[in-house]
Amino acid sequence: MATFRYILRDTWRLLSRHWGLSLLTLLTSVAVFFLVGVSFLFVLNTRYLVATVEGDLVVQAYVVNSPEALETVARKASTYDSVSSVRIVTSDEALERLRARLGKQAEAVSLLDENPLPPSVEIQVKRAVFASVIVRELISMPEVEDVVYAGAVVERLERISSFVARLSLVILFISMASASLVLFNTIRISAYGRKEEINTMLLVGATRNFVIFPYVFQGVILGTCGALISAVFLWFSYGFAIETLQRSLPFLDLLTDPGVILRLGAVLVSAGVAVGWICSWLAASRFIRLASRSH
Amino acid sequence: MEIRFAGVTKQFPPDIVAIQDIFLTISKGEFVYLVGPTGSGKTTILRTVTRELLPTKGQVTVGDVNIRKMSSYDLAYLRRDIGVVFQDFRLLPSLTVYENIAFVQEDIGVPPADVKKRTNDVLDRLGLWRRRFLYPEQISGGEQQRAAIGRAIANSPSVLLADEPTGNLDIHTAEEIMQLLLSINASGTTVVVATHNQHIVDAYKQRVVELRKGRIVRDEKKGRYEVDGDL
Repeated sequence: MATFRYILRDTWRLLSRHWGLSLLTLLTSVAVFFLVGVSFLFVLNTRYLVATVEGDLVVQAYVVNSPEALETVARKASTYDSVSSVRIVTSDEALERLRARLGKQAEAVSLLDENPLPPSVEIQVKRAVFASVIVRELISMPEVEDVVYAGAVVERLERISSFVARLSLVILFISMASASLVLFNTIRISAYGRKEEINTMLLVGATRNFVIFPYVFQGVILGTCGALISAVFLWFSYGFAIETLQRSLPFLDLLTDPGVILRLGAVLVSAGVAVGWICSWLAASRFIRLASRSH
Repeated sequence: MEIRFAGVTKQFPPDIVAIQDIFLTISKGEFVYLVGPTGSGKTTILRTVTRELLPTKGQVTVGDVNIRKMSSYDLAYLRRDIGVVFQDFRLLPSLTVYENIAFVQEDIGVPPADVKKRTNDVLDRLGLWRRRFLYPEQISGGEQQRAAIGRAIANSPSVLLADEPTGNLDIHTAEEIMQLLLSINASGTTVVVATHNQHIVDAYKQRVVELRKGRIVRDEKKGRYEVDGDL
């Protein structure tokens, strides 16, 4: 217990003695973890947007006007795993929908002698990538006259989403690497500044762990505080960004669940602890291993 | 704790031989002077005991343990039982005199209340009580030397190694330091002093081991300094 208290006191000494360097490292890790958080939110929102659009994606198969043909196409469509729902839309139902869509001009429909709208099968797919496969299958059926869907747009969105995910991975990797490097160097400089002290401590019987742990705690504190501060910044700046975007682009459907930001904050803090621990352990243990080597 | 050197040679690259074929046994509770001209190997012998240096050839045994075969963990424990007074003191400049003496006890996990008691006892014994809150640069050379001795004896070691403990000190202060080392020895601690100080060696007659060019050329109980060409 006493040893732990001494380690904590030494950690405080390390942080306060090189306070300029500590502050610089803290600010860098705040910036880096903020960047990581922003990349995450960007990816999450793009995915959410694609998922929302995908949820509305419907493949409309126009079928020859016979109840048997409609049944056959609907049955065939139901067999696909990638289909979430199948619904038969009769000519009358299609006309009703048209009326509803026309609103005040709906009277124009009554001028028609007979209903010109063909019956169709409305197929809702789970993901946009499956749409084109289903369309190919349907079009080859003799009962199907035409197929209409907005899949091209969604497929493009899907491609953008996957590109954004890959780009964010690269940003994530660069950000984490720079955070690690900054922490690693801070601890090394800090250890180097205490070279004589470390040598003396080892010569009078301090164990390596006793010497290393203040540096490890220093790294963990800097990493964790950096991640924590960046999570707080992220919380406020994301709230502000969402508010602004919803005011100027109300049709844009974005993630507004505060739980997402909280979970992201927890991930960032865990990453801060892990990066701080690993980097400082590597930096300090390597230095101390060299210092304690007998010549 | 007995210290035994059996055919120990230490060579630094490329071909500098610091000590050669050293056979030496220092018994528990002994007081030994290592004398000899600069570069004769006195400091190398001390640094080998703490395994700061590893012998190129031969075997160094401290207590019952061959130091070459010790793990780093065991080595830390051995070093806690060997107090070292470095030639350049190596007091930590950012710590006060009190903290310099206390930190070696903290290193080994002595509870804070015991650290306080032991450190205050040592400060009192060394006459540094009034200097306890000063930093090394604020005290004299003699006081720094005493603080370094205080740090070395704070853990009540079985062996005390002192490298030139009276170097650069006036005769009066040097005698004070010697009285201190003798009193530590009287309490059962093995003391090994590497020194150039003829006055001290001749005044406080103890076993003298003389080194020349890395070899032992004289080992005499109650000996005198008598080193040729060391001025």
